[in-house]
Amino acid sequence: MQKKRIVITGMGTVNAIGGNVSQFAVSLQSGVCGITDIDLFDTAAYRTHKGGQIKYFDPLQSIPDTFSTKRMSRADQLAFAATLEALRDARLYPFPEPFRENTGVAIGGGAGGLFEAEDFYSDLLKKGANRAKFSRLSSVYCASSADRIASNLALAGPKATFMTACSSGATALGFARDIIAFGQASLMVAGGVEPMSRITYSAFNALKSVDEDVCRPFDRNRAGLSLGEAAAILVMEPLESALDRGAKIYGEILGYGVTCDSFHMTAPDEKASGAVRCMQAALKDSGLTIADIDYINAHGTATLANDITETRAIKEVFGSRAYSIPVSSTKSMHAHPLDAAGALEAIVCLLALSQGFIPPTIHLKERDPDCDLDYVTEGARQRELRTVLSNSFAFGGNNTTVIFGKYEGRGAVHG
Amino acid sequence: MDEKRDVPMKERIVVTGLGLVTPLGVGKDEFFPRLLSGDGGISGLEAFNADNVASHLGAEVRNFRPRDFISTKNLRRMDKTSSLATAAARMALEDAGIVVGRENRDRVGILLGTAFGATDVTVQVAGTLLSQGPLSVNPILVPNTVMNAPAAHASIEMGFRGVNTTVTQYAVSAETAIAYALSEIKRGVADVLLTGGVDILSKFYYEALSRFRGLSPDDGGREGARPFDQERNGYVAGEGCGILCLESLASARERGANIYCEISGAGLCSSAETPTGWPEDSQGVRQALRRVLQQAGISITDVTAIMAAANGGRLLDLAEARAYEEAFASCEQKPFVTSIKGAIGESFSGGGIRACSLALSVQNKCLPPTVGLSDPLMPLNFVMEKKKEVVIKNAVLAGVSFGGTYAYLVFSACGDMRG
Repeated sequence: MQKKRIVITGMGTVNAIGGNVSQFAVSLQSGVCGITDIDLFDTAAYRTHKGGQIKYFDPLQSIPDTFSTKRMSRADQLAFAATLEALRDARLYPFPEPFRENTGVAIGGGAGGLFEAEDFYSDLLKKGANRAKFSRLSSVYCASSADRIASNLALAGPKATFMTACSSGATALGFARDIIAFGQASLMVAGGVEPMSRITYSAFNALKSVDEDVCRPFDRNRAGLSLGEAAAILVMEPLESALDRGAKIYGEILGYGVTCDSFHMTAPDEKASGAVRCMQAALKDSGLTIADIDYINAHGTATLANDITETRAIKEVFGSRAYSIPVSSTKSMHAHPLDAAGALEAIVCLLALSQGFIPPTIHLKERDPDCDLDYVTEGARQRELRTVLSNSFAFGGNNTTVIFGKYEGRGAVHG
Repeated sequence: MDEKRDVPMKERIVVTGLGLVTPLGVGKDEFFPRLLSGDGGISGLEAFNADNVASHLGAEVRNFRPRDFISTKNLRRMDKTSSLATAAARMALEDAGIVVGRENRDRVGILLGTAFGATDVTVQVAGTLLSQGPLSVNPILVPNTVMNAPAAHASIEMGFRGVNTTVTQYAVSAETAIAYALSEIKRGVADVLLTGGVDILSKFYYEALSRFRGLSPDDGGREGARPFDQERNGYVAGEGCGILCLESLASARERGANIYCEISGAGLCSSAETPTGWPEDSQGVRQALRRVLQQAGISITDVTAIMAAANGGRLLDLAEARAYEEAFASCEQKPFVTSIKGAIGESFSGGGIRACSLALSVQNKCLPPTVGLSDPLMPLNFVMEKKKEVVIKNAVLAGVSFGGTYAYLVFSACGDMRG
């Protein structure tokens, strides 16, 4: 396949440590923790009470009145707010009419409108089917967010939603890259969204994979992940078109890899074969070698199994060089927004590339003896980076790795 | 072998295996003869009572024995969507003559579509949470509430470890997954991909569909699926799974595999509908058709047949019929148009079953009739009442969803069919 260079020209996010990309960048640089007591719903009956809830940012504030948000779920609103920020950032808002036909949407979808649907389920149980409001289900599925984005902006290109749990957001970016590379679209709005919901929170509680306290990636006392919520959207286009319209360029998507553990529904393969093959597939797709990678944004959920397995996989792929590559888990700050994680961490990577820093792993106090890499525990490190690799590993054994590169020509964003 | 296009054999993708669990039977040998004979898979619901709603028909999968295809150990952990998908995936691999082993397992994968996933399990988990509290939620059920479960279970059962992704975009989930599978093989990241779609009926889901006024009879009249018919009054909900085994022409030839057909292009697009509605005009279909023909490198006169998305819905069928009337207005020989949703119902990710059906049609040179159609809403070249024997050069698989998403594919005859 002929390689087309595809760059990122706009970004938008709402998450636990930032209501937009610039706030998010400041939080990442200063090691802010967004994991707090949840007040979106009453957690009294749950085993745990903390999470990376979006508390201080109102997505509705950034959605103009011209768009009706009435039937949008919280997830739809978050995704659309992030989309508008990304398009404004890319200087594509109001969205130019001539771009509509060949602009598509690819979203890593999570719980969708499950938060709203919980009220419906509750009515259904208590009052019966005839008195439950089925209209509340109109945005329950995660495919709704992509529909809202496309219809609100009248985008007529390809549209797809990916649902591979914690790797969805990363896979959506890979798909978007391919859609552009194969000439099916000339611009893609791609990313992921995950809202917090009682069902998701109780499910992870049932699996006993949530830490009661803040999550502590790679720490010997880690006791699970911190659930989060987020929307993260990227504007992707070919380099030539970005240059043509004088866009600023955050970086380049160099490649991605997708593999499957084929091992267990919720536990990673101890030999880390799926993760190893995934990073290798992404390297191969990028045409890079292990010597090229300057920073790894780890999946780093802080579950017992993930952190050991991922560390093992990094050592297997990078050999002795693994010890000299900084590896951090930004989930220690923004928590784990499941299906949005891959897209949110793509923004982390692009900020790291364009601003020249490595975000830290916070809350790591006592290192697990089996986790012996450079996890950037002392705070953000200022350093120029050329290429960075981001891992997303999911339940079901779905693995996706994406590699981003610094862009240094005309239009490059610095600082 | 047809060498009409200068595309390298490694970038031409062919269908070499089919797996089916459908309301018209399990496996292609049971399914296709029944489909061609005009047999219907729709009847009164048996798996559950839908007492609260006006609809009572469904296209249910019956006489499916998951144990025939899946190990007892893994089956215990599977929900219904997963067992249907795993069984269909196994059938497709076996049909293609592919044995997954150490040498090839990292180059075999799955790209599955599902519109709604395990609606039964999700409602069960929600019910426990809301009536008994979060501490009573059964952890064993949790992984199956996530839409990636069927593809994950299939990979665990058969041991393939390559590309593995789940796509969900309502009624084009399967077609979109197939389109993605084409590009994944073309760019060389997998040798063999299983792809298609799975969705199931459940009481909750059926009742929810009914509340959204899509199900027949939306006018209180005679219930039934009548695609493209004047008397249509909604779709009949169905379930099932159809999975295709895809590989490059180069790989199929090298293995000497049976080739059903080539999938020579995919066209994806959207139209700005209200996000929950079906298309109200023909524009989106026209655009999807233009895109897919362009991607397949063929012209409008090269289309022999269309397997339409029409399901008996008022808006969808009209929008689609109008689009084909307009698009082929200048053609002397109009393409045959058929829809099998009168036989298998609307299962949303039924694009998998429909794709298998179209692959069989191309290979067997025979199109199935549109069950339920007797009084066409428009004079298109419909396949009605009886199957139509015809040499199919190129056939279009139409995927149209509410929400305004379109995923079209072109299936092309592949010379002497043998690699």
